[in-house]
Amino acid sequence: MSLSRILLVLRKDLQLGPRSPIFLWVLLLPVLITLMLQVTFGNLFDPNPRLGVVDQGASDVTTAIQDLEGLELTLLSDVADLKDKVESNDLDAGLVLQPGFDGAVRSGANPSLEFYVGGQSLASNRIILAVTAVDLVRDVAGTAPPVEVEVVTLGEEGLPISVRLVPFIVMYALLVAAVFLPSFSLADERENRTLSALTVTPVTLAEVVTAKGILGFLLAGAMAVVTLWLNSALTAQPLALIVVLIVAAALLVEIGLIYGTASKDIAGVFALIKGTGFILLAPTAFYIFTGWPQWIAKLFPTYWVINPVYEVTINDSGLSTVWGELAIAAGVIVLLAFVVMVLTRRLRSKLAAT
Amino acid sequence: MSDAAIRVEDVSYSYGDIEAVKGISFEVAAGEILGFLGPNGAGKSTTIKILTGQLAPKSGKAQVLGADVTADDPAIQAQIGVCFEEKNLYDSMSAQENLRFFASLFGLKDIDTAGLLARVGLADRAKDRVSKYSKGMRQRLMMARTLVNTPRVLFLDEPTDGLDPVSSQAIRELIRQEADRGAAVLLTTHDMFEADDLSDRVAFLNEGKLYALDTPENLKLAHGRRSVKVRIREDGEITERSISLTESGAGDELKEAVGAAGLMTIHTEEASLENIFIEMTGRGLAG
Repeated sequence: MSLSRILLVLRKDLQLGPRSPIFLWVLLLPVLITLMLQVTFGNLFDPNPRLGVVDQGASDVTTAIQDLEGLELTLLSDVADLKDKVESNDLDAGLVLQPGFDGAVRSGANPSLEFYVGGQSLASNRIILAVTAVDLVRDVAGTAPPVEVEVVTLGEEGLPISVRLVPFIVMYALLVAAVFLPSFSLADERENRTLSALTVTPVTLAEVVTAKGILGFLLAGAMAVVTLWLNSALTAQPLALIVVLIVAAALLVEIGLIYGTASKDIAGVFALIKGTGFILLAPTAFYIFTGWPQWIAKLFPTYWVINPVYEVTINDSGLSTVWGELAIAAGVIVLLAFVVMVLTRRLRSKLAAT
Repeated sequence: MSDAAIRVEDVSYSYGDIEAVKGISFEVAAGEILGFLGPNGAGKSTTIKILTGQLAPKSGKAQVLGADVTADDPAIQAQIGVCFEEKNLYDSMSAQENLRFFASLFGLKDIDTAGLLARVGLADRAKDRVSKYSKGMRQRLMMARTLVNTPRVLFLDEPTDGLDPVSSQAIRELIRQEADRGAAVLLTTHDMFEADDLSDRVAFLNEGKLYALDTPENLKLAHGRRSVKVRIREDGEITERSISLTESGAGDELKEAVGAAGLMTIHTEEASLENIFIEMTGRGLAG
């Protein structure tokens, strides 16, 4: 097998990609699904509250604000500039901390706290910022709150639906790129008989199949990262993420190559996907419907790649948590590689016989 | 023929129970055009698939450029050109892109696509997508693609099938040029005129068996009548007579006919390849 010939076929497929509806579908569909689901269930277009701070005395309040998640902080040096930005709705609110503010608070001197609110800002953001500011000042004063706060959780405990949908969206991105692209590309070449034309050149059928696999693998990896990023699920453990995505893409690419080598035309690939697609996506349903018996998900081969992706991206787990599942996935990959080899040999005979 | 570019010895192939090729043997030398003549299903395409390494023979031995075809040797693949019966080009690529891509598979980087396309009369359509091409243009591009690696052996499977006379003639001219360059050409066709016009030798294939292998001239001489037919107008009436060239006095008779004032036409009565094929196989070429 020649790497240079594989790369030539791959380059041709990448060159033809933008002219193929399937290729564009692979690139656009996961993004569109992400946007649709995030708009429906998530907070993709809900901006974080934006607070501007002019700190004239190195206050602990500023440090505490910097540590907060879910709040967009802008530090400014000039009060007039702060007011302009709040007035023009570049900030939802502005806070001015005068020199010696912390000391004054701690001594009980009751200093003034300038808090500007934008007239066009969202009411919810104003309330969040105002309450947060008062709460942080109380922390600086070191006083206990004047009330006893009792927190009662209403509704089912667990991750929000927008987060539970992430495995489904990522799986879909992987599936479309890793399964659909190589299978359709192979079937298309077979249907148009260009595959026969390739096999009478120095290129072998195995090299063509490998090139299709690499195409699906690269795009699957890229689309998975894009989808995770769009869903704010890029983990703090990049190595673990890379490993689980490589394993997931490899397994799904092999399924795509099996579909492609087993089908005589594009209609055949469609029929296979329609008939078996639910098996590939089924494990994702168990993340959405958490009340279902979770052991059933493990019966599906794709569970062993979906769960590591979920663990690493949503639960911030490391490789030590998912190595067992990855080992099972690797076993499935070896098994499927054997099936792909057999089907590639069979395809060669079939091509010549037609 | 010790320096044969193609050598086939007692090769057989069957698709399941159907015997497509039954123990055929032949050779093609460098610079020679061998016309494989036979109706659909005669085994022509199967023979090409065996010789191009797409099918492995069930028995016998097939060699191209001295290498066994079952060896699947990229070095041998790099020296052959195959023109398929089906038009299997990348439709969403231009002619130029198709040629460049296939050239790259042969390890060729700077090929003269313009020159190649000019040879098949497509120079002014080089950048058009193949999907916009007519059937004849596609076939001409198929020929250009076949020649992209300047092959030493050419396998041409019905290269002019269904084409208009102008396109057919252009492709025939190209085939002659390639043979003149020194390429061995195995040409399958069921067009007897094409085979007669192009081939140095023809092979008659029917139901997988080789019935004859010789030059068109020898076949015609062996199976046709050695006579000429003359038509003469005398006193307003047209008379037609056959002069046998094997009988004594034929020369004088012929001289008299040629000298006649009312001579209209003289035709040799040699058999056509199709007649010979039917005579030998009991079957026509068109089926």
